[in-house]
Amino acid sequence: MPATSATTTGPKTSRPVRKQAAPRARNGPRGGRKREFTTRRGLLIAAFMAPAAIFVAVFTYYPMIAGSQMAFRHWDLNDLTDTSWVGLDNFHRVFSDPNWGTVLGNTGTWVIGSIVPQLVIGFALALWLRRRFRFRGVYQALIFFPWAISGFLIGILFRWMFNSEFGVVNDLLQKAGLIDEPVAWLADPHKAMIAVLIANTWYGVTFFAIMILAALQSVPDELYEAAALDGAGKARTLFQITIPYIRVTLVLTVLLRVIWIFNFPDLIFGMTGGGPNNETHIVTTWMIKITQQGDYGKASALGLLVIAGLLLFTVFFLLATREKREVRS
Amino acid sequence: MRRRTAALALGTAAAMVLTGCSAMSSNANGTVTLNMVESLTNPARTDLLKGLIADFEKQNPKIKVNLISPPTEQADQKIQQMLQSGSGVDALEVRDITVGPWSNNGWLYDMGKDLKGWQGWNAMTENAVKASEDAKGRTFFVPYGFYGLSLFYRKDLIKDAGFSKPPASWDQLLKQASAINDPAKRRYGYAFRGGANANSNVTAIIEAYVADKVDLTNGYKLKNGRTIFSAPEALDALKTYLTLFKKASPKSSVSWGYPEMVEAFSNGSTAFLLQDPEVIATVSESKSISKEQWDTAPLVAGPSGKTVQPLATAGWGIAKGSKHKAETVKLIEFLSQGKASTDFTKKNSLVPILKSATEDPFYKTGPWSSYVTMTKHPDTYLNVSQPRGVTWWSEWEQKSDADVQKMVIGKMSPKELLTSWDAYWSKKWEQEK
Amino acid sequence: MIGKETAAGRAVRIVFLVLWLAFTVFPLYWILITSLKAPGDIFSFPLAYWPEHFSLENYRELFNKADFGTYLTNSLIVATVAGAVATAISMLSAYVLARFEFRTKSALLTAALVTQMIPAFIALGPLYLLMTDLKLVDNRLGLILVYIAVCIPFCTVMLRGFFENIPDALEEAAMIDGLSRFSALFRVLLPVMRPGIVAAFIFNFVNCWNELFLSVTLMNSDANKTVPTALNGFISSFNIDWGSMSAAAVFTILPTMVLFAFASRHIVQGLTSGAVKG
Repeated sequence: MPATSATTTGPKTSRPVRKQAAPRARNGPRGGRKREFTTRRGLLIAAFMAPAAIFVAVFTYYPMIAGSQMAFRHWDLNDLTDTSWVGLDNFHRVFSDPNWGTVLGNTGTWVIGSIVPQLVIGFALALWLRRRFRFRGVYQALIFFPWAISGFLIGILFRWMFNSEFGVVNDLLQKAGLIDEPVAWLADPHKAMIAVLIANTWYGVTFFAIMILAALQSVPDELYEAAALDGAGKARTLFQITIPYIRVTLVLTVLLRVIWIFNFPDLIFGMTGGGPNNETHIVTTWMIKITQQGDYGKASALGLLVIAGLLLFTVFFLLATREKREVRS
Repeated sequence: MRRRTAALALGTAAAMVLTGCSAMSSNANGTVTLNMVESLTNPARTDLLKGLIADFEKQNPKIKVNLISPPTEQADQKIQQMLQSGSGVDALEVRDITVGPWSNNGWLYDMGKDLKGWQGWNAMTENAVKASEDAKGRTFFVPYGFYGLSLFYRKDLIKDAGFSKPPASWDQLLKQASAINDPAKRRYGYAFRGGANANSNVTAIIEAYVADKVDLTNGYKLKNGRTIFSAPEALDALKTYLTLFKKASPKSSVSWGYPEMVEAFSNGSTAFLLQDPEVIATVSESKSISKEQWDTAPLVAGPSGKTVQPLATAGWGIAKGSKHKAETVKLIEFLSQGKASTDFTKKNSLVPILKSATEDPFYKTGPWSSYVTMTKHPDTYLNVSQPRGVTWWSEWEQKSDADVQKMVIGKMSPKELLTSWDAYWSKKWEQEK
Repeated sequence: MIGKETAAGRAVRIVFLVLWLAFTVFPLYWILITSLKAPGDIFSFPLAYWPEHFSLENYRELFNKADFGTYLTNSLIVATVAGAVATAISMLSAYVLARFEFRTKSALLTAALVTQMIPAFIALGPLYLLMTDLKLVDNRLGLILVYIAVCIPFCTVMLRGFFENIPDALEEAAMIDGLSRFSALFRVLLPVMRPGIVAAFIFNFVNCWNELFLSVTLMNSDANKTVPTALNGFISSFNIDWGSMSAAAVFTILPTMVLFAFASRHIVQGLTSGAVKG
């Protein structure tokens, strides 16, 4: 057994316990059917975990850690004759870069401006798709489809549609009488940001719709029937029955999407490349740009900041949502 | 059920074996496979190279060449990555702007010794021989040709606008382009470069405006030792250039780089394009404009009637990590002489490296003739070395491109830009001393 | 079961659903139409919403200019193998994480979550060096291995949800019958899990099919390129040829579209059984 799996899942560190069914574990006291530790069980856990652990350790964690050390060294592909340790110098260079403020602000706009419409529209779609109607299957297949397209391709697709000279967006807006002359969407930082957010909404609503729809279908009918008997209105049912019931799905989906959107340079990379004037860069596209300039030290420092930022966010987000749950129950 | 598990595992393993095992570098019968990486990739050129390689392989049955063609924008980064890993590259495209850092990192092989006494040198132009050596006399690449700027223009459009001949100066270009520009009809005057490498066209117009005063050994320096950005003419140049954007260019060109500019000209929407001769091949294949509709003119001049031709070059070099240096030298010799070189420069539309080209009727007709005009009049089209080999070149490109975009979207004035560029180069030269 | 719908509510719902459908489908329609216009017509003004002449020229160009068939084959192989293997491996880890309590469990789950936070670009350089050492650069097997690793964390978490929703009793009964845990897993759980497994595989497949940066980094020669890498090549070299670009886009989208059309029901069904209950 390779060392990697032994250290993470080896029999010595693991104490297998028969797990309770989830809902019961939350309500009743724990460990009702606790079983004794056996080597066999430990081995089973180790054996089942090993392939996944090895793959992730070798191809994800090892390169990440090896890349992290460059954050503390002078590592510039344009001059590799000196790769000495420079402490936090690369981090200073990130913070003192004139683009840093813009990039940070953009990242915030990008994440919030993407997640809010995606969540709201996705939720609405899920609620409306819960009801059966003719061709629902076809409808679902059609609107779920954007999820299957690569972010980079979506960037290119929307770049073509938002093209100021021959783009269809300007043409439609002109036909509708909303604009008099073509708008140079991707040539203006603010308009470009709006354009990438529209593209990302187009892409990301699906994931919310799928996840929320799946969760909604797990809400037992009895709950609704009881609510109806109580004379609860639509809004009350939604906020007091539906949302609390699928809260965990909502929290986890939002968390996962925030992390993914944050780490999703593909779309912006394909659509604006971070331009014009570096004003649509988010942290991860900016990191690509710095990497392309050969400044691996600075790029790695930025990468570590991304991980640290997301970890902090995750902790706060989970704490915040957990408290609410306790208050409710 | 165990069987099904086993089958799954077996199937997976089989698939893996099938997909793997394809990266053998040399095999038993003594055949050597060379990996060759290009940087300034375009599909037509890749096909051309493949053809030349096939000829080479025919002459050298024991050598196989595997051509790797990463997309241009990421190519140099990709090559760096391969070079850093120390394996996987034998021959590679080295550019005047990459040779400095790469040789400095110890990634390139000095083939000076191997090419000593090689006959090919005799057939090459002086410029080409000069470009093959760095300041210390080492040969890290043999140039395959030169890139210079000329003006691509639409014959029909300028005629419709009432002009009899293409512009010869930046002022005339501005006038003609503004006359043609008509956004309502989706017709534009000038394919402006605001995105990647925007700095190159800005320095081109500045150099044209200071052509009388420029130091011939360094295109960024005046004869008085200061930077070209400090000259009062530079401000005039920038103002003209900015007006060209505002009055005659599509708004989206703020972010245009090479592909968008070429596309704008080849799709028929834009009347003027300042580009490398390489683009001749691309535009010739256009389905939107016919050969009768366009031509090239020599690079436009400044107020003095002179201009500076910012020549750039690239060539083939050898990776230090290569295990087949002798074979790679053979390949580079093959590409750098005779028919192979002539074919490459002709079909890829480059300024040739061979002396014999001046006699070739090919270069005297069509879009090519403007290049001949330019070479024939070195007093008007000054041949000035550009400081493209400096170690800070990539840093400079980042800075200057960002500044150009700032100026174009109105976040920086032309004056501020020049002050900043003047300070940048003055400081670098000071540090160098 | 969800309550009666008022006429106004119904109208709002239908209008919204139709608008959203139009918004979703229009970009796809536009790319298809663009690809079917004659190359010169793409830039004719005013824009044609229905081409006067249909032309397959862009598609001909695409296959002339680049070996698009090879890219499609490569993507298909890589995404299928990586997606399947990652699903298989994740089932094992997901099973353990769903059925047992052990000390390192929360650490493992955190480690899985953290992988989602790592920006690819921090790891690309070292990964390239690692793959060079393993002689797996510019090799489909190499890309498959990396993709498997990329898919495993999310896939594991997803499948864990399915396992948790399946009562223990099912496999316990099987084990009482004398089957080992491993056989119980495959004989009893697998059939129940089918929709979940299909959903997980589709997620993996789509992720691998669309992945760009790792593929650009690890693949060099034309013969090994995947579709996104080729698309990226189209856009950044030569000129942006929107005609063949659109044709390439249509070809890229097609396989996943077929997959989705065939399995979209499975996805929702699969996820429903795996949805985390609150």
